[in-house]
Amino acid sequence: MKPGVAAQRQAAKYRQLPHTADLAWRIRGQSLAELFENAAGALTATMTDRRYLRRRERRTVELESPDREALLVDWLNHLLYLFDVEGFLGREFHLTSLSERRLKATAWGEAFDPERHPEKSAVKAATYHHLEIRPWGDGWQAMVILDL
Amino acid sequence: MNQVKLRQVDEYRWEIPREGKMRTRGLVFASEAMISKIREDQSLQQVANVATLPGIEGPSLAMPDIHWGYGFPIGGVAAFSLEEGVVSPGGVGYDINCGVRLLRTNLQRSQVECCIEELVNVLFANIPSGVGSRRKDLKLALPALKEVMRQGAGWAVKNGYGAAADLDHIEAQGCIEGADPERVSQFAMDRGKDQLGTLGSGNHFVEVGYVLEIFDEKLAAALGLFKDQVTAIVHTGSRGLGHQVCDDYIKVMLRAAAKYGIELPDRQLCCAPLNSAEAGNYLAAMAAAANFAFANRQMITHWVRQSFEQVLKIGPRDLGMELVYDVAHNIAKIETHEVGGVRKRLCIHRKGATRAFPPHHPETPAAYQETGQPVLIPGDMGRYSFVLVGTEKALTETFGSTCHGAGREMSRHQALKVAKGRAIIRELAARGIVVRGAGRATIDEEISEAYKDVAMVVDVCQGAGIAKKVAKLRPLGVIKG
Repeated sequence: MKPGVAAQRQAAKYRQLPHTADLAWRIRGQSLAELFENAAGALTATMTDRRYLRRRERRTVELESPDREALLVDWLNHLLYLFDVEGFLGREFHLTSLSERRLKATAWGEAFDPERHPEKSAVKAATYHHLEIRPWGDGWQAMVILDL
Repeated sequence: MNQVKLRQVDEYRWEIPREGKMRTRGLVFASEAMISKIREDQSLQQVANVATLPGIEGPSLAMPDIHWGYGFPIGGVAAFSLEEGVVSPGGVGYDINCGVRLLRTNLQRSQVECCIEELVNVLFANIPSGVGSRRKDLKLALPALKEVMRQGAGWAVKNGYGAAADLDHIEAQGCIEGADPERVSQFAMDRGKDQLGTLGSGNHFVEVGYVLEIFDEKLAAALGLFKDQVTAIVHTGSRGLGHQVCDDYIKVMLRAAAKYGIELPDRQLCCAPLNSAEAGNYLAAMAAAANFAFANRQMITHWVRQSFEQVLKIGPRDLGMELVYDVAHNIAKIETHEVGGVRKRLCIHRKGATRAFPPHHPETPAAYQETGQPVLIPGDMGRYSFVLVGTEKALTETFGSTCHGAGREMSRHQALKVAKGRAIIRELAARGIVVRGAGRATIDEEISEAYKDVAMVVDVCQGAGIAKKVAKLRPLGVIKG
């Protein structure tokens, strides 16, 4: 794929912002569902290079949270839980349903293999620090800070 | 950005005057040279925010390694009365009982210089680190995991990792009272059960080094340190278990803060009154996670010892690897302190700050009654670390607290940019330091330039009288997560 176009599209999905000790991601999406999918992508991108992950396994996630922002944090922290317990890292994500307080999603990926997957940064948690989801242009934008 | 008002008190103290919703003043320990850098992120605002929380006793404190955290700044210390005050998971951090221990040996630098690379490789093989570090040789069933959470380092000793004498040289004897594994979620236990005995990632490390300089001969001798002595530092915390406990209880505290009508300038300061059920549950879970971390460091020490014995082909007696001290720097402790002439039971939050009790304090170990409690301040992997002891002044001014490390100055993103095109590992090797990391990005993110100069941080603590320098250590070999 031509680097220019792909890089541009990739840059729009999620982008790192300056933060001293942790990692701040600015996420974008045309819809809220896409925003959540891209946030998950940013999480994986923090830990490894997504391109090396195969769609070998599938996980379904169902969550309920007090509000939309908390739902985003809980979504990411649930993915971290899957990683810690099963080594699972998602390459692609699909939000099958998403409301203000509930989500159902599928993740495709595989277990982390240090032989094949580049190691980047481990993540302790997605935090509520400066957490926000708001409309942006035709779509949505979120800021999430990951504790490394 | 809002400029927080700052008034210089003396060479090392800066006050954030009480105003608006602050219930007390802020007190930042720093040098003039550090202040403009400190102003660049929002850490001072965070010090002021903490000062708004109910039941705060004394000032909202910040150590010289202060930097921007979430809710509480890293390098923050805040005390709350048990009757009127609150406990906040953000004041402890996600990595509950992230802490550090210093091990000393009978060896001189010259005895290990031949074998640093091999030693680093063997340590790397024996101690899982990096993304997804887990042990294959130690899988804990749930009942055993619960015992770890109840007994802390004592569990490790019972299971053959180190000696009972080690416990006297660990903060809280390696076990915080009141730990209740039933307050720890299944999620947290699932995350932690395969991670005992692992380093994790980020700025965690095991470092082999030597004593470069002694500042106080008497204190050094009492701590068992001598010039050119080979040392080892272990820096890690409670892994996924602690992170999950924090996340679980942040949710609880968000609801609790609303329930008890606590106004929060920042969501991440969510808290509950210390006399509430929510607070009790958090403290019990936090203690359980803290005990997991104490056990973790005790076990990793076992493999550090084994690695040394294997590579240097010596026995434990010749190696003489002993624990100088082990301290937590992300924790909430119930301690008795004198405030305004009255002795009070307080909940002290130390987030990126270390306890530093003086000589003759009942919680200072017997071996250190004359010297004061040892404090280990790790610097970045390219420079140096310091050994200090606690002082009376710390007890009266900072609830017996001091700094914890160098503190980051540069974002990871920036650090990667600065490191780009450079062979960091080779640069360090050229300076006599062998570094092995699980991922290249980790090394690049951890370059010296990304950190404050820990010597400056320690000099402020010394200058302010809240710690006393004993020795300076220099790295020889490091394994990083």
